Amino acid sequence: MKKTVDVSIPLGPMHPCWKEPVRLKCETAGERVLKTELELGYMKKGIERIMRGRPWQEVMFLAERVCGICSVVHNMVFIETMEEISDIAVPPRAAYLRVVVNELDRMASHLIANFSYCYTIEHETLAMYLLNTRETVLDNLERITGSRINTAYMIPGGVRFDLLPEDAAAMLADLVKVEDEMKRYVRIFETGPLIALRSKGIGFMSREEAIRSHTVGPTARASGVEDSDIRLRHPTYRDLGFTQITRTEGDNFARVMVRFQEVFQSIDLIRKCVETLPDGPIRGGGLCKAGEASYAGEAPRGELTYTIKTDEYGRVVDIAIQTPSIMNIEACAHTMIRDVASIADVTSTFISSDPCIACNER
Amino acid sequence: MKYLYEKDLRQMKYNILTSTKHDEAVRAIAERLGMSNAKLRMVLIRRFDMSLLENLESRWEMGQRHADDGDPVAEELGYELFTRFIPLVDTETMQTIYSDTTAMTQEIPFDEAIARGKEQIREAVLS
Repeated sequence: MKKTVDVSIPLGPMHPCWKEPVRLKCETAGERVLKTELELGYMKKGIERIMRGRPWQEVMFLAERVCGICSVVHNMVFIETMEEISDIAVPPRAAYLRVVVNELDRMASHLIANFSYCYTIEHETLAMYLLNTRETVLDNLERITGSRINTAYMIPGGVRFDLLPEDAAAMLADLVKVEDEMKRYVRIFETGPLIALRSKGIGFMSREEAIRSHTVGPTARASGVEDSDIRLRHPTYRDLGFTQITRTEGDNFARVMVRFQEVFQSIDLIRKCVETLPDGPIRGGGLCKAGEASYAGEAPRGELTYTIKTDEYGRVVDIAIQTPSIMNIEACAHTMIRDVASIADVTSTFISSDPCIACNER
Repeated sequence: MKYLYEKDLRQMKYNILTSTKHDEAVRAIAERLGMSNAKLRMVLIRRFDMSLLENLESRWEMGQRHADDGDPVAEELGYELFTRFIPLVDTETMQTIYSDTTAMTQEIPFDEAIARGKEQIREAVLS
């Protein structure tokens, strides 16, 4: 006779599917998960405290070390917050170059997120394909900024390097290749019957639940939350005619598909930027002053907010960083994972929300 | 849930709650509930896991924006705010408090009924 027992199953902190250490404590009835608690604290950096009292020139490098996957957007949001405080204008060419680099970073982040998901549901072939494509994206990031991960590309009033015509041509050629490959991978993902079994209808989160826990980024957009992309309010993205991608299914499949669709959107945005790249300087100059501002930008995982207070020398007196993973991981632990029918779905659902523990613990 | 190798998370939870933004949120919630910051911190550390504490500020912000639209009693008591957005009171207890307070508003002045309802919520939070 089949017997159902109630057990508590800890997953992590070290788990083959986790990229970073975190512990999920699942309370189950048989295989069904009733409740989940999340335990953090395995990689606390205390980076906000390290930043306090330091000049912006040092904090700029620390900011991009908050996260090793979306480092460019941390750099961008920190610099744009400093520009907001100090009323520093950015030349149009630099603003467009920022979008190019930010979108390359978003593509790299989405590709590694979807790689992790495919790896978790044991579709290693697709996972490795995605990781391979990510290399091409990182090569292009390196071509423009000189570095693959910690680029420190943006500075107050501009960017550090211009985009040379031959580099732009090489990047566009690479993007054609990436687009072709991605079309094939998305077809594999969309039509795979085993992928559908592990993804469709699993880890459901309704629109109301997404709003309640302030879910952001692709996780919110996969649950049909409109107006949840900060790029809609960014002046350069508005110039480029950016529109938000939204799906309504709210399951693992939708979250991965939103990221795939956003990779195509990023390719289009980069092409548009390169085609309409204005002439002119890439650095406008300006001095960082005393002030206080809260500024949000759209990271690959969602809304990233920096609240900064500076003194008259441009030193950071106080700083608070609200990363998107804080909201997404909480929503995942308390909403998506609750009531999943199998422990195997806990790992895939957790990974589908693209959790970044480094961001969460700062 | 307790394991033999369980760590004591109180200090780390306290660190989360005393960071700049979270401290502001805790003070605002404590003021709304009419209790001291220290007592609220104690309750939060006891009841919430680390991810919920990290997300406290966002949930509070969303609760202010979306919870309890329309019904004045529910709005004053924070019916949805303290059950769904910041889950400090379970739904059954809150429903009982809400029903009692709504009944009281027929007999005594509105403000007095709300004050009594809030007292019951404080008791439920601290229990």
